[in-house]
Amino acid sequence: MTAYLDIILVALILSDFILLGSGRLGNCIRIAAWQGIMVGLLPMATADAGLSFRIAALGMAVVALKGFVFPRLLNRAIRESAGSREVKPFVGYTTSLLAGVLALSASFWLDGRLSFPLQLESAIVVPVSLSMMFTGLFLVVARRTAVNQVIGYLVLENGIYALSLAIVRDVPFLVELGVLMDMFVAVFVMGIAIYRINMEFDHMDSNRLAKLRG
Amino acid sequence: MIPFALLLPLLSGLPVLLSLACLAGRSPAGILRLCAVGTAGVSLLFAFPVAVVLAGGEPLVTPGNWIRLDALSALHLMVLCIVYSLGALHSPGYFADEVRKNTLDTAAARRYGGLWFGSLSAMLVVLLSNNMGVMWVGIEATTLLTAFLICVHVTPASLEAMWKYLLMCSVGVAMAFTGTLLLSASTGPTAIHGNESLLWTSLMASAGGLNVTLVKAGFIFMVIGYGTKAGLAPMHNWLPDAHSQAPAPVSAIFSGFLLNASLYCILRTLPIVEAATGGHGWGREILIVAGLLSILTAAAFIVVQRDLKRLLAYSSLEHMGIISLGAGLGGAGAFAAMFHMLSHSLGKSTAFLSAGRIIKAYGTNDMRRLTGTLAASPLWGVGLLSSILGLIGTAPFAIFLSEFMIVRAAVGSGEWVTAALFLLGMCIVFAGALRFLLPMVWKPCDPKPVFPKATVLEHFIVILPLSALLLLGLIMPDFLIKAFASAAAVLDGAR
Repeated sequence: MTAYLDIILVALILSDFILLGSGRLGNCIRIAAWQGIMVGLLPMATADAGLSFRIAALGMAVVALKGFVFPRLLNRAIRESAGSREVKPFVGYTTSLLAGVLALSASFWLDGRLSFPLQLESAIVVPVSLSMMFTGLFLVVARRTAVNQVIGYLVLENGIYALSLAIVRDVPFLVELGVLMDMFVAVFVMGIAIYRINMEFDHMDSNRLAKLRG
Repeated sequence: MIPFALLLPLLSGLPVLLSLACLAGRSPAGILRLCAVGTAGVSLLFAFPVAVVLAGGEPLVTPGNWIRLDALSALHLMVLCIVYSLGALHSPGYFADEVRKNTLDTAAARRYGGLWFGSLSAMLVVLLSNNMGVMWVGIEATTLLTAFLICVHVTPASLEAMWKYLLMCSVGVAMAFTGTLLLSASTGPTAIHGNESLLWTSLMASAGGLNVTLVKAGFIFMVIGYGTKAGLAPMHNWLPDAHSQAPAPVSAIFSGFLLNASLYCILRTLPIVEAATGGHGWGREILIVAGLLSILTAAAFIVVQRDLKRLLAYSSLEHMGIISLGAGLGGAGAFAAMFHMLSHSLGKSTAFLSAGRIIKAYGTNDMRRLTGTLAASPLWGVGLLSSILGLIGTAPFAIFLSEFMIVRAAVGSGEWVTAALFLLGMCIVFAGALRFLLPMVWKPCDPKPVFPKATVLEHFIVILPLSALLLLGLIMPDFLIKAFASAAAVLDGAR
């Protein structure tokens, strides 16, 4: 099964780069959804653990939330707004892609420095999850549109989820449920917030949210 | 003690029910009254377990070790109850004119009440949980539940503050989760397995065997993550915006407890890190540096501040820095930090609540136009004057004493530079705040703004915390000495 695992991990990296180079909001939401589905499948692609009910149930919940519920919430939030493109990001797309390459190599370097007790068989789980976290942070900082910042947050969370699969022996069920619920509420609240900001500013450029200073 | 400990989860369910009751409320005034009575009631009920733990010193633990109340969390729980009660008791009066003018309609009041009790129960989850993962879930839930409390009045500025708060704190708290995972992964070499790898008690019990590199990495992530929400510099950018845009009772709970709750998570992790790294003060140094940085950043912004609520927000940043510095010094410093936490929350909530009323009557946040408050309204003027005097460390108030104790702790442990930088920060804050405070209180104002007549209850809830702040500076009851000492002992590694 390690082959499947590696395929998923490589696909995760590719989805990061598509997000870094893409400006259409609808497109970004779709890619983030695919990334969520792949992350949800990650625990099921491990061989040794066997497919216990718990792993399957949690995996399905993650796939359902990240792959279907979140994109729906985000799509509803942007439907009202006129523009469906990122408006002039703080960092251009080519530079973003370069930053992605940098993040990936930094992750591999960092992985060599830290000794993690690995749970999954693939050697590249940790660097991939670290690079997803970096990419997520980068998107939050480098994009102007509120929706794209939320997508950055989702990529960050996906990275953390993959990291938790790789390094933690057993996250208690209650904690995992709590984390999932928090994520759901987070995206829900952010969706409403974007909608409200739309109503007030008639376009959700979070850069206009810059009145409060000092 | 076991049956008594089981009361804790039952009591924590109460705010959830009250939250649902608020959602079903019919009139805005009724919902706000329910908030006041409900919060005060819940606080009185929690006084029992808090008193038992703080007086007896023994932690309350439920079977299965998921819920645990020790001296550190009991002290925080006490502060939580005081701050929420003060805020809730102020709400009916604060929103009275909006209810009359119908700018706060039933839907908005329902949302306010529901989120108020919702955030209260999330804070309880943080304090009562022995599981670091559940504690994280609680902190993230408080972020989400309090976000819409900032924009009770929907304006572009309040939406901006809300978005900044939501995004910065969510990303920050996600970092803290990574830290929690790293901490859990550090149990690799020990015999801890499964569910236990996130329990604070089992991490403490086998701290010596943890993987040191992962513990250190985890703590750094947690300080950055929880520090973002606790408002430690340089991750504090959201703080002045959110505090200045929120309605006064919400600002009071933000400054009085939301920041403390997040700092509590760092303080909770500190003894594990210290025990795992051999007690050489690796973790403490980080807190000292973060604390000093926050104090000096806050001091710089307080000097140039023109907006009253932002001034108070930066003062919160300063005080979070002081608590973190005290905890970092350990020993007498940790005692002072716990004392400081209680006094700061008392003073800051009163300051925000009084400032809220004054700002409402004057219609501006600008301190240059807020003059002669004492003559315009003796009650709120006295509230603002004495709470700010207390907060900047004027002599007989409790905060002066705790700051003095921190300086002594720093000098006692030979940290001369720390003590000097701390004193420098205090002096800048004192001078900077006083410059505006004096005209704000005494310079005559024309025409005099009209304040609604203050009720007996309102006199009571302004005078009471202020006299407590004053008395604590003069005499400290044995009960509190014991409480602070046992909470400080937890920080120093007692179990």
